[in-house]
Amino acid sequence: MATLVHVEGLRKEFGNVRALAGVSFKVEEGEWIAIMGPSGSGKTTLINILGGLDTPTGGQAVVNGTDVARLNEAGLTRYRAEKIGFIFQQFHLVPYLTALENVMLAQYFHSTTDETEAHEALVRVGLKDRVTHLPAQLSGGEQQRVAVARALINHPKLVLADEPTGNLDEANQETVIQLLRELHNEGHTILMVTHDPALGCLADRRIDLAHGRLVQVARVAQTL
Amino acid sequence: MFTRLLWKLLHASRGRLVIALVALVSGAAVISALLNLQFDIERKLTQEFRALGANLVIAPSHAAQSIGSGADSPALMDQAAVMSQLEKMRTQEVVAAAPYLYIIAQVRTKPVIVAGTWLDEATKLAPTWRIAGSPVASREDATSCLVGRNVAQQLKLAPGAQLELSYLGRTARITIAGVVDVGGAEDNQVLVNLPVTQDLAGLTGQIGLVQLSVNGTPKTITSYAQRLATSLPGFEVRPIRQVTEAEGELLSRIRLLILSMVLLILVLTGLCVLATMAALAMERREDVGLMKALGGSISRIVGLFLAEVGVLGAVGGLAGCIAGVALSHWMGQRVFGTAISARWEIFPLTVALMAGAALAGALPLRRLGNVKPAVILRGE
Repeated sequence: MATLVHVEGLRKEFGNVRALAGVSFKVEEGEWIAIMGPSGSGKTTLINILGGLDTPTGGQAVVNGTDVARLNEAGLTRYRAEKIGFIFQQFHLVPYLTALENVMLAQYFHSTTDETEAHEALVRVGLKDRVTHLPAQLSGGEQQRVAVARALINHPKLVLADEPTGNLDEANQETVIQLLRELHNEGHTILMVTHDPALGCLADRRIDLAHGRLVQVARVAQTL
Repeated sequence: MFTRLLWKLLHASRGRLVIALVALVSGAAVISALLNLQFDIERKLTQEFRALGANLVIAPSHAAQSIGSGADSPALMDQAAVMSQLEKMRTQEVVAAAPYLYIIAQVRTKPVIVAGTWLDEATKLAPTWRIAGSPVASREDATSCLVGRNVAQQLKLAPGAQLELSYLGRTARITIAGVVDVGGAEDNQVLVNLPVTQDLAGLTGQIGLVQLSVNGTPKTITSYAQRLATSLPGFEVRPIRQVTEAEGELLSRIRLLILSMVLLILVLTGLCVLATMAALAMERREDVGLMKALGGSISRIVGLFLAEVGVLGAVGGLAGCIAGVALSHWMGQRVFGTAISARWEIFPLTVALMAGAALAGALPLRRLGNVKPAVILRGE
């Protein structure tokens, strides 16, 4: 398998606070990685840098041949549109757009919109009857499924999920976990931040962070 | 998708945008009414000034304006020569032109100024004359006259009464058709048709001066006077300065006032939009952060919001224009007594001005360029 993500000596400082202190690891194409650690360990900072939402202070983060650290504002914008699919803990849907339009928004910023394709993406996540609903008319699980459909609509190289089940009840957690399993089985590369050990166990590998440092990278079977 | 997003944005913030829209519609209404007035003011004012009387005079060089005695006064002009030349030079701007010959005649041993003119044309020169009785409709009528209000009062004259004018041993008996109330020199005069004074004075075919009422701006009046002077050598053609200068000054002051008000309203409208947009920019930080995270370039995102403001300006401008036309119609009726016709060029001008004011008011949207998606998505 080819390496999709290569992180080497990655550092991020917010003033005097060191969020990442020389983190290094590699992710192969099609892998499902769980990034775990206590609050303030640098998990979200790491995922933000890999997603082009933030820039590192030092080191390199190469995703599909692109060193994110070297991209300017316009380059980061294109990178986010073309290579990354985000799934956030808070869903982050535009409240005045329907489920369909939220998916199409990602298409609009990527290239051109295709309503049929957006509709199919929602059918795929089980929201066939909810396409014209506004986020406020959807349950948390349904909103997260819209977010999953939106993350996948542009066929990203890397899916970044930040606590994807953190805001969901048990039933909805199960639905989203099932969706992530399916994505993994289809060959998507997933980097997932989670506090939930049960969810972490579903990944191929687990990266543990503490105080901005990498504590261990291990096969999930080895950590159990 | 762009139109879809635009509509959704407009719909989502309709509460706030209605405030900006009301400001834009009100601003556009007043601006279009003022601009309509500005375009039409020259025509209306010149019409108003024409009601005040003559604004051009043709007189002999170094003319005296009346003759006290003798048929050999040097301050006279040949009526046929002047009037025929004037007829050739007559354009549609000339509202009226009346020859005058003044004499001081006796009425019951009292001296009275008698103005001989074309009475049909004289009433066109000054349409504001109030006549109690009836006007004299024909310039050939040598048996009827109009009497000024003060003369009628002093001599106890009324319409229908007979009047005997004596001058240098000649007399003329005429019937008073009406009493005129002018608020000017004519209140102290007896106004007769020209042949009456010419016969009394023995000056057949002679006139003392010609008064003209010419439509147009002070510039066009002066230009017409110059052309007239060239075609009438030996005569003096001069604008009545008080009228033309007052007209010019009033026009420029009104224009300045209107333009200042338009500017002020534009600034106020822009400020109102600015306040709305500042609040809206704060509200939309999260949307912008998310759009950026999804790969939306700032130009594309801000372009959406600017289009929203542009649509608002255009709609506000257009709606305001329609209200403004009605407003100017009402203002015209109130101020000038006649409706001000709608000028269609006002529509694109007002819409462009409103869109400009709205876009200038959208400056706070620039702040959205600084939104950091990571910060917004953390919920900060």
